[in-house]
Amino acid sequence: MGSVALSPEMKIYELIDAAPILLSLFSRLDIHLPFGDISIAEMCRRDGYNTQLFMMLCAMHIDSRYRPSQEEMTEDMLPEVIAYLRASHRYYAERMLPHTARHLEEVLSHCDDLSERVLRRFYDDYAHYIKSHFEEEEREIFTLMERGGERDANFALFDMPHADIDDRSNDIASLIVKSLPESAPTSLRCDMLKDVYELRDDLRRHSNIETYVLRPLVVKYLKQR
Amino acid sequence: MKHISIAIVEPSPIILEGVASIVSHSPSLRVAGAVATLGELQAIMRNTEVDVVVAAVGLVRDIEGVAELQSLPIIGMQSAIVDAAMLRRFTAVATLYTSEEELHRMIIDAADMPAEHNYAESHELSERERDVLVLVARGLTNKEIASELNISPHTVISHRKNIVHKTGIRSVAGLTVYAVLNKFIDSERL
Repeated sequence: MGSVALSPEMKIYELIDAAPILLSLFSRLDIHLPFGDISIAEMCRRDGYNTQLFMMLCAMHIDSRYRPSQEEMTEDMLPEVIAYLRASHRYYAERMLPHTARHLEEVLSHCDDLSERVLRRFYDDYAHYIKSHFEEEEREIFTLMERGGERDANFALFDMPHADIDDRSNDIASLIVKSLPESAPTSLRCDMLKDVYELRDDLRRHSNIETYVLRPLVVKYLKQR
Repeated sequence: MKHISIAIVEPSPIILEGVASIVSHSPSLRVAGAVATLGELQAIMRNTEVDVVVAAVGLVRDIEGVAELQSLPIIGMQSAIVDAAMLRRFTAVATLYTSEEELHRMIIDAADMPAEHNYAESHELSERERDVLVLVARGLTNKEIASELNISPHTVISHRKNIVHKTGIRSVAGLTVYAVLNKFIDSERL
């Protein structure tokens, strides 16, 4: 996956074929299909996206170790990054978290009352924690920047929640793999686990974009103000 | 001076040659064999003494089935993103970005590691760890747990580290669910 070479001339269908993981990026950006034969640059022009930023987001989805350089990032990308992150927050709240919850309910319907109760509460707390964290970010950083950044954004505030969310995602996976009573059928358990791992990895990419794209852009913006 | 004898097992020829070359730069290390499969590694180990194995992390499950490897320190060679739980099974983990000096140091340190550091490690909680887990689940602080069990807070921290390592669960909420699902505690006592 890390070996996909991106260029503005690359056709969108080639891009998706090389890295199907990007479908979730298209979905949250609400980019219209079909793509026909258009290239990355043509699609970005059509839909009003910054090509450089779009390729940066693709690269960070394909290889989670990819870190964009300072030179790649320009201040004018900030509103678009914020719009992407807001869309991503909605995607988790409206799509991924409810989808995972549905699979969890299927698993829980095969469990005893006590397991059902504690696991549902754990997942509900987890989903609630993620959503409150998003709301706080939107309030403390996104809205602040959209209004012209009248004061410094406190990013350090979010380091701990990012680590916490990652821990809790791993915890759910460990509990389902190791401790869920045998009564839950393996196929349902696997569906649920696929969701949990997908959610965990996606949240990691999201957090990387906030740390390695949003944060330096905000710092740049505040310096030049 | 006795050399530390290294065997390398790695399906990628580029990584295999790279690790072998780096290891051979150290005067205290000697490459006993550099092979692509565990079968070939076993053949080498029948004829040559091996002190430390460097193995592709992806081979972790197959390694568990090879009896000769259970008593040896093994350094995992990580070249792709894998679950952290897989990495815990290795004595140490090197990546494509590990420097020559770091890799030498890792191998030399691994040669002195007790073998029980490896796969045979039990993931079952000890009785004391269960006691600590139950009190964590009931929301007690380290200090309160120390006082309840009549042990030092430092010992509580050490038990908690082991609990996290063995269960793979970090959050207090997750540990509570673990304690309930494993029937160490009933929900009425929460």
